[in-house]
Amino acid sequence: MNALASLKLTAAAIALFAAGIAGSYVAPEPALWAIAAPLVLLAVNLAAAIVRHPAFRRQAALLVFHLALGALALLAAAGQLMSLKGRVELTTGEAFAGQLLEGEHGPLHLQRLHRVWFVNEGFEIDYAANVKRGETRNTIRWRDEAGTERVSVIGDQTPLVVHGYRLYTTPNKGFAPVFTWQPERGAARLGSVHLPSFPAWHNVQSAEWTPPGRARPLTFTLHLEEPVVVPDGRWRLRLPVRHRLEVELDGARRELAPGALIDLGAGRLRYEGLTTWMGYQVFADWTLPWMLAAALLAAASLAWHFWARFSARPWQEEA
Amino acid sequence: MSAELQILWAALLAYVAAGSLAIGALVFGKRPERAILALLVLGLALHGASIGLRWQRLGHGPFITLFEILSSNLWSLSAIFSLAYWRIRAIRPAAAFVMPILFMMMGWLFVTHPGEGHFPPTYRTAWLWVHVGFGKVFLGAVLVAVSLSGVVLARATGWRGAGLARLPADERLDDLALRFVAAGFVFQTLMLVAGAIWAQDAWGRYWAWDPLETWAFLTWLALAAALHARLAFRIRPPLGAAMIIAVFALAFLTFFGVPFVSTAPHKGAI
Repeated sequence: MNALASLKLTAAAIALFAAGIAGSYVAPEPALWAIAAPLVLLAVNLAAAIVRHPAFRRQAALLVFHLALGALALLAAAGQLMSLKGRVELTTGEAFAGQLLEGEHGPLHLQRLHRVWFVNEGFEIDYAANVKRGETRNTIRWRDEAGTERVSVIGDQTPLVVHGYRLYTTPNKGFAPVFTWQPERGAARLGSVHLPSFPAWHNVQSAEWTPPGRARPLTFTLHLEEPVVVPDGRWRLRLPVRHRLEVELDGARRELAPGALIDLGAGRLRYEGLTTWMGYQVFADWTLPWMLAAALLAAASLAWHFWARFSARPWQEEA
Repeated sequence: MSAELQILWAALLAYVAAGSLAIGALVFGKRPERAILALLVLGLALHGASIGLRWQRLGHGPFITLFEILSSNLWSLSAIFSLAYWRIRAIRPAAAFVMPILFMMMGWLFVTHPGEGHFPPTYRTAWLWVHVGFGKVFLGAVLVAVSLSGVVLARATGWRGAGLARLPADERLDDLALRFVAAGFVFQTLMLVAGAIWAQDAWGRYWAWDPLETWAFLTWLALAAALHARLAFRIRPPLGAAMIIAVFALAFLTFFGVPFVSTAPHKGAI
């Protein structure tokens, strides 16, 4: 028990923890055990020290600091098991219906994303010289937990927070040609093709889409016929007034104007016009406020401990 | 040369004069402490004016380029050390051990291009101030501990100059250095917490083990290990001093190395 409760073990376990982090940082495949094992050792060491050393128990602030650190580690682990991270892209005017483009979540995540509803109503982004992105102002229509519809502007530091999820705008956004797909049988559907992020990929404004019933994709290419990007000055991202949309179909190229129809056998595709899309990052972790509380408690109790210890005796005096 | 740069170079001259005087005083056993303090205050005032002029011109604080980060940290480190120099008279000769570090930063600042950078939208938050402010207090507190550690190590090498003899015994300096390191540990903890709050809304995650986060946390662990080791092993002042200097070196590299070497998103400026 004495060995388990010793400060020497604490120092050694901290050194192992640091080595595990540094090793995981440089290794191509981070090893979870290299971080988890020293943490378990530190937890055992702390528990043993609390049991074994009455002096440690008497130093309330120091004890609270260590317990808060333990709570922080446990909450971080719980967050890994229950959190969700993902991304989604929405065309202007499109509603989020609970489906992620890609994402990952812990095995114990309580899926409530289907409750989240919001519509991307468009965005404004100003750029400085040398294509430096400024503030993002994305107007959204959304429903709160009570079902009341609201309009808000989100972007950068301001996410949409609803049903425990945090939805952030991202630097990924761009142009999106909108189409109506009219199949041979059934109802027509409105959809869009998201061209690569703009202005990051301003030279490669092409994307593919494979219509139902076809093996080969269509390739859509947007040609801007006016300068949208102003490399040396300030500008605002906007839809180009003059542009051409080109489609490549079975090796043949064709230009599309709004209202143009393409007959694809299994249905007809009608080009409705050009709009924009915005990429969103989705994050959920119920531990966040508790982790903040634990971290602040740790910092406050540490300050309290040092203050009590050092104010008891001037530094010039012998201990 | 612009007025803000002329004022900055004048400030550096004042710092250099203060530092040279402090080193000379230690070597020759003199006590020009009032002159050193006056020169430090003059340097701080001029340096603050230069930072203020640049701030007014660009419309944002010194947070973006290497030039701005070096300049603002040089100011905050000088300010915190000057405060300690003013308040704790008994340790004033220890200034000679801090000035070479500040000289190095001044030299680096001198050869760094003073061009301007883009102030990204993720920096438009009060958490930038909180995070950076705590970081500056942390590094400043450890710098004061480094000055005391320098004295302890100099004595351990057998140097017993007139200036060193005036300083308190190694055990007392070691105790005071521990207090500054402890204060630094609290502020570094707060810096990490504020950084995580900022990162959550700036990048949609509170922690992602990016290079700057990883090295900042390793520095925190190094400080925690040093504090535990002092209790566990009854470390003698010279070894304790060496550990403080090692922690400062790690923190210094994290502050001024990683952000400008890393290509990851969290690199000081995006």
